[in-house]
Amino acid sequence: MVRIGIVGLTGCSGCQCEILNCEEALSKILQRAELAFFPLAKDDHTVPELDLALVEGSVSTELDEEKVKEVRKKSKVVVAVGSCACYGGVQAQRNDEASLKEMLETVYGGEKLFLKVFKPRPVSEVVRVDYELPGCPLDKRQFIYTVASLLNGVKPFFPKIPVCHECKLSETECLTLKGIPCQGPVSFAGCGAPCTASGIGCQGCRGNCDFPNFDEMVKLLTERGLKRSDALKFLKVFRGKTFNTEKLGSYADGKGA
Amino acid sequence: MERELKVNHLTRVEGHGAVELKLEGSQVKEIKLSFTEGPRFFEFITRERLFSEIPKIVSRICGICYVSHRLAAAKAIEDAFKTEVPEAVELMRRLLIVGEFLESHALHLYFLALPDYMGYGSAVEMAKDYPNVVRRGFKIKEVGNRIMKLLGGKTVHGEAIVAGGFTRAPEKEELELVIDWLTEILPELEATAFLFDSLEYFELESPVELEVSLENPVPSEPSDRVAVSNGLKFTKQEFEHFIKEEVSPYSTAKRSTVNGKAFRIGPLARVNRGEDFYTEETKEVLSRLKNRFPSQNPLLANLARAVEMVELAHRGVKYAEKLIELLPFEPKAELEPGEFGGYGVKEAPRGVLYHHYRFSPSGHCIGANIVTPTAQLQACIEEDLKALAEKFSYLPDSQLKKRAEMLIRAYDP
Repeated sequence: MVRIGIVGLTGCSGCQCEILNCEEALSKILQRAELAFFPLAKDDHTVPELDLALVEGSVSTELDEEKVKEVRKKSKVVVAVGSCACYGGVQAQRNDEASLKEMLETVYGGEKLFLKVFKPRPVSEVVRVDYELPGCPLDKRQFIYTVASLLNGVKPFFPKIPVCHECKLSETECLTLKGIPCQGPVSFAGCGAPCTASGIGCQGCRGNCDFPNFDEMVKLLTERGLKRSDALKFLKVFRGKTFNTEKLGSYADGKGA
Repeated sequence: MERELKVNHLTRVEGHGAVELKLEGSQVKEIKLSFTEGPRFFEFITRERLFSEIPKIVSRICGICYVSHRLAAAKAIEDAFKTEVPEAVELMRRLLIVGEFLESHALHLYFLALPDYMGYGSAVEMAKDYPNVVRRGFKIKEVGNRIMKLLGGKTVHGEAIVAGGFTRAPEKEELELVIDWLTEILPELEATAFLFDSLEYFELESPVELEVSLENPVPSEPSDRVAVSNGLKFTKQEFEHFIKEEVSPYSTAKRSTVNGKAFRIGPLARVNRGEDFYTEETKEVLSRLKNRFPSQNPLLANLARAVEMVELAHRGVKYAEKLIELLPFEPKAELEPGEFGGYGVKEAPRGVLYHHYRFSPSGHCIGANIVTPTAQLQACIEEDLKALAEKFSYLPDSQLKKRAEMLIRAYDP
């Protein structure tokens, strides 16, 4: 029996919930694999030896750091699931703008916390990660595809094509053409583009596609009424360090950034 | 004789936590419930963000109750910009809440709590002997998920839920499907209530005297006032004056009190004062239960969840029927940003939550305060744990720990 672990660091547990939502697929997976560690749903207090560990959440405290190092040591394959584990998540969106001290002062009034905390980091900054399944939350089908592939000795592969590709496949009308701010052209597909189908632009929760043209994206967004500074913040929400504003060309909106 | 009990990693609860208990004889000398969840700085990362970005960001506070956070934020923003949403938006929100509570409560009842009472370590183990019980849990959860996906666009974090309303209105056929789903699970929900009524809860009288819920304790019904069980009522604008928060020396969740006292929130607090607000169908189910509300036994929060699911499913059918009558409708009100502050209160599955934002003239957030159920429950759970440890101090460590975990799980902080 292959031993699988599902580990939560600092996050919202949304990815773990999505995994639980894969009811039918999970029961099939459990014919070949054992869920050996899953504290959200099982009485598991210590990390056992694992073949496959799925890690949710960002590394934000000393406990997270210890836990993820232990998981790495005891697991053959480590998969970071969700945008927090892959990029740091929403909690990392202002990492480059502010100091930890400033963040702590705003939230805890400068009082000392009982445990050591860090700026939220992706798992790959702390340990080696074999695969990344971004998304906020992760996509169920990608989770099933990954586990099924690994159970059969196949390496999962995720082409970093843009979300626009999936809108074309599902015949969803282009929101950029309709004037709605949409990050589809620069975002990593694989979710099936559910947001654009419900009339809201892609929020970029899965991070960057290959060769994203951020200069052009910023230009498109500012043309659709966002100030340049707001467009940059919009792009930053889920991308963590993978979005570097310094690398951008200068598209002034005339209203001041 | 001094005894020390420690649960380093609480399992089958939504967050991360640990308990430390020191007993001398039957007296508790020290108790520490610490939430070790890393801080995510939501009150900081919302700053300088355009108002329209806020619901998306704060929904990430919780993957299980994101609807509640998203709606509390949307309401606070609408409050700030003095925007009235159309009746259809209000109804869509109520229906969305029905979905959220079915999913969250079913997850809690069948996957987190039930294994304890049936003598298993998890629902996966339990499924070998009780496949149909676990299947029922999945079925209810699934209906909740489908409703959230339909109205919110995604099962988790629903990006279509925005300040002002929704990016898309449902179609008649979709709403008819919702009515079918809800009608189909009604017998399952009643069965859930009777199952949780039949479980053996150990006797425990909570020393926590105060309970807090919204004035209308039915979670899908909007309410802008908060009611305390001692008769005190206050508006959402007054929330920060009555619910006091302080940083805990051993937890990343803050500690909250009202009048300097711990208070209970969540399903038990709501159901304890809910009966007058319920539909006839729920009253009928309540009358057939062997356990009675109001109750001071915190473990009955489990039964309270089941009662709430019955109530919400009945209401959900009515909301969907009314929405069909209103079709076609505009699912969103336009917002005019300005320099204001706004407040939102909401019953989340685990209890009252509060969002407060201040905006600059351009509609950028300049300050936020968010009070989550976890923070409000810390002091309450500690008092209950103390009562539990003193009452059951004669039990061996392993059994006492087990009971402590069952108590914490009943709150699922």
